[in-house]
Amino acid sequence: MPGADKETDLTERIEAFLADLKRGGSGTGPLRGSGEMARETTYLLRRITAQTRWSSAGDLMEIIRNEGRRMTAAQPSETTVGNMVRRVLKIIREEYARSRGSSEETEQQESLHKLLTSGGLSEENFRQHFAPLKANVIEAINELLTELEGTTDNIAMQALEHIHSNEVIMTVGRSRTVEAFLKDAARKRKFHVIVAECAPFCQGHEMATGLSKAGIETTVIADAAIFAVMSRVNKVIIGTQTVLANGGLRAVNGTHTVALAAKHHSTPLIVCAPMFKLSPQFPNEEDTFHMFVSPHEVLPFTEGEILSEVNVHCPVFDYVPPELITLFISNIGGNAPSYIYRLMSELYHPEDHKL
Amino acid sequence: MSSRGGKQKKGNVASEQEEEEQPLQAVLVADSFNRRFFPISKDQPRALLPLGNVAMIDYTLEFLTSTGVQETFVFCCWMSNKIKDHLLKSKWCRPTSPNVVHIITSDLYRSLGDVLRDVDAKTLVRNDFILVYGDVVSNIDVSQALQEHRHRRKVDKNISVMTMVFKESSPGHKSRCEEDDVIVAMDSKSKRVLHYQKTQGLKKLQFPMNIFQHGSDEFEVRHDLLDCHISICSPQVAELFTDNFDYQTRNDFVRGILVNEEILGNQIHLYVTQDGYGARVSNLQMYDSVSSDMVRRWVYPVTPEANFTDQRGQGCTHSRHNVYRGAGVSLGHGSQMEENVLIGRDTSIGANCHISNSVIGNNCTIGDNVVLDRGYIWNNVDISSNVEIHQSVVCDGAVVKEAVRLNKQCVLAYNVEIGPNLSLPEGTVVSMHHPEEEEEDDDDEFLSDDQEVGHSKDKTRQKAFNPAEVGPEGKGYIWKPSVDDTEDEELAQCLWGLVLNPDPESDSESEASEESQDRSRSVSPEIDDVNAFQLEVLGTLQRGLEENIVCDNLVLEINSLKYAYNITLKEVMQILTRVVLEYPFQLQGTQLTTLQYTGLLLPLLKKWSPVFKNYIKRAQDHLDCLSAVEELFLEQDTHQTAMVKVLMKMYQLEILEEAAILKWFSTGTTTDRSRQLRKNKGLQKFIQWLEEAEDESSEEGE
Repeated sequence: MPGADKETDLTERIEAFLADLKRGGSGTGPLRGSGEMARETTYLLRRITAQTRWSSAGDLMEIIRNEGRRMTAAQPSETTVGNMVRRVLKIIREEYARSRGSSEETEQQESLHKLLTSGGLSEENFRQHFAPLKANVIEAINELLTELEGTTDNIAMQALEHIHSNEVIMTVGRSRTVEAFLKDAARKRKFHVIVAECAPFCQGHEMATGLSKAGIETTVIADAAIFAVMSRVNKVIIGTQTVLANGGLRAVNGTHTVALAAKHHSTPLIVCAPMFKLSPQFPNEEDTFHMFVSPHEVLPFTEGEILSEVNVHCPVFDYVPPELITLFISNIGGNAPSYIYRLMSELYHPEDHKL
Repeated sequence: MSSRGGKQKKGNVASEQEEEEQPLQAVLVADSFNRRFFPISKDQPRALLPLGNVAMIDYTLEFLTSTGVQETFVFCCWMSNKIKDHLLKSKWCRPTSPNVVHIITSDLYRSLGDVLRDVDAKTLVRNDFILVYGDVVSNIDVSQALQEHRHRRKVDKNISVMTMVFKESSPGHKSRCEEDDVIVAMDSKSKRVLHYQKTQGLKKLQFPMNIFQHGSDEFEVRHDLLDCHISICSPQVAELFTDNFDYQTRNDFVRGILVNEEILGNQIHLYVTQDGYGARVSNLQMYDSVSSDMVRRWVYPVTPEANFTDQRGQGCTHSRHNVYRGAGVSLGHGSQMEENVLIGRDTSIGANCHISNSVIGNNCTIGDNVVLDRGYIWNNVDISSNVEIHQSVVCDGAVVKEAVRLNKQCVLAYNVEIGPNLSLPEGTVVSMHHPEEEEEDDDDEFLSDDQEVGHSKDKTRQKAFNPAEVGPEGKGYIWKPSVDDTEDEELAQCLWGLVLNPDPESDSESEASEESQDRSRSVSPEIDDVNAFQLEVLGTLQRGLEENIVCDNLVLEINSLKYAYNITLKEVMQILTRVVLEYPFQLQGTQLTTLQYTGLLLPLLKKWSPVFKNYIKRAQDHLDCLSAVEELFLEQDTHQTAMVKVLMKMYQLEILEEAAILKWFSTGTTTDRSRQLRKNKGLQKFIQWLEEAEDESSEEGE
């Protein structure tokens, strides 16, 4: 029974992925970037599409949704996983509509009236069986994967439009996207980068080493010096963990400080964020929004007696409201925060916002 | 085409280990082989006790799985059925689990040594394995340690047999178990352990000089280490346990290896980590601190809200100030969850409660106006209104009635009912098991028959509950650990660790009190040695009397004892004198009349005079001996009249010289009591007689 073997293999893979998510989390330690996380999720979803038994698009969507729910529950702070699940669901909807011959595009441009009337009927529409649907969905997921592979490069390619010679640029912590962005610009232009170290994890140090190796003039500052240095800065370029539905950010601790300082000095704040970081989540969902990790970095365990006397917290993320952000640079170009809602509706189907 | 994703997924840790062709194995000992958690562990094995609402063994398995262990052998003994059931239901035994769990049960395991001997007998391990207990909570990544271990084994041909994982944490840290406090001397370059000693509160420690004489030129003597009870062992460890059947614990093993290093050529290494968390829940004190560390997220990513056991409905949410709420928790009006609170699913809490630093299990009901501070409430507990609980453990199914107050370090074991209107004093342990049934169960403590438990319950039913102890409607007995054992074992039975009856001071952890504790500790060991020596001497003499051993042999034995306990010659004499003079009391009790006493003693003195003569040679020796005699009779002041006879006899037997006696009499009067002693008529007469005798002899000499 090779089929059964394959299926147990698949469930094993899913379990392993879930366990990894639980143990991994994000923000600390030598973890995989969210780009890799997005790719892994998509690989897994493609495998689920290929190997599980389903007869119609509705079945498949149900399977994907179930697995997606488990994946997001395993690590709520890792929004990329949920985003990828939503992308795949959207792909299935589109492929189904195409197989039926109707254009999903027109349905997408729903009027308020249509939204109200179409209600719960949509699921039933997916019951029809199409033989080539599987191949088509897998093909589309492959396209999504190619898109994911290219995101960082696509963003980096736009660097020359934003960074000019002899500018002073500030960034905070370490973001692979920003690093690639700055390095790309450094091939043609000469500029100075100031990196806020981003205590207590101090990923900024890593970032600075990476940049200086690429021949960029780099300065590391303490987080407390952000405001003091800001007056000299021409541009702030940061990465983020998630772009929220309202155009705000959920980014590494200390980003809010940078954003406020930039606002005070009217320095433009540019966020490099690939599209897969765009999440339909709003910042009011308190329970999953914050992530607290081991307080070890703030007050080491070796301290001894004092630890029983104090409470130590070590949050990982900051919320940055959309008012403080000037521009988003994604793999499909630059957008203002107010435009995020539009991108959202292009990427995800409204019914998939809640898995 | 999907296989590509598969290869990527495995993660870097696993792939490195897979290069070593064999899967990483672990031996998990799900038994503590002691009764520290009695009476709680009478109903539930320690490994299944909930910590943060998850059984402890799950933490250990999660730790092993996350470090990449692919095969785990779980050894259970006490209540093995329960552990087995738990594991079979858990996610570890699902076919998709990356860590294959084998459960091995036997009633015959009495120690870690037995388990490892069985591992060897069954040849379960083929490669390096990780050895842990079922109550270790950790998130340390041991892959680094494992690599170092393997490297060492590759470089010097299997000389290193074990790598122990320690965590750096300075003394005074609350998660340091005082009983496990160790001093380690190690080679700083190779991380080889040169000397390993449990401090056990000692202030003076001795290091053999030879450990510093060979090997490299850099040494570290460290006391800032927390024993995580995680060790990476080579298969040789199991073999060594088989070869040395007297090894019971890892401590025995380590000491044995270090002592025999020259002969066997095995070495033990150390891996000290600063990151991560690792501790063993070895008593309730540790339970308290590990729980609070867990809630304070020190063990991240193993946190309560992660629901790593994958059980339905176990999930909870985490909000600010480390407040965790399970599904279906209801909180009454005006109730406050201050900080570091974990509440399990379907628990309801009444109005105006005040909860801080506590863990509450599933399906609990808590009334109004309840104050909980550092309380550990397990599942299905019913707490009525106006209850106050401080730093206590309340086990499954317990009922706490109105207006009960649990002071610090109380324990309510399974299904106990308490109250109403009662205040339990500090350190009270209440259990449904009568303490006396303990003795009866002593022999078959390791048989985990449910029958037997039920049987004993029937017995306890017959004994009435004491309303003064558990309240008018209470059910349960005050539990007292059996006291007949020696002091050490009594301590070992204490639930809350070394602090048996904590003074209010010592609990507030003020430095002054700690210092005073330290001081008392620093004195005690010497006294202990002397006491032990005294007992040994007594034993030797007794045996000598019974078996009619020649005095020369007695001397030989005492001499060897002298070296064993490191006693000075002066002390030997004093102790010897003391023992001999007290011997009649030992035989007949202290109610002897003076006449009986002397009657018994004098023949003894005659018999043992060669022994005395052997030790009392110099003039100073005579004086020391006399002062010992004096000391004894000062204590036994009812028998002062016997002193003369003793001195007389000793003089006659030529143990003591007359000059010495005279010198002693004329000098040495320091205290009032000794002066009074010298005014004793008999003594004065004796002295007078002695002086005359001396005069005579000197006259004769002329």
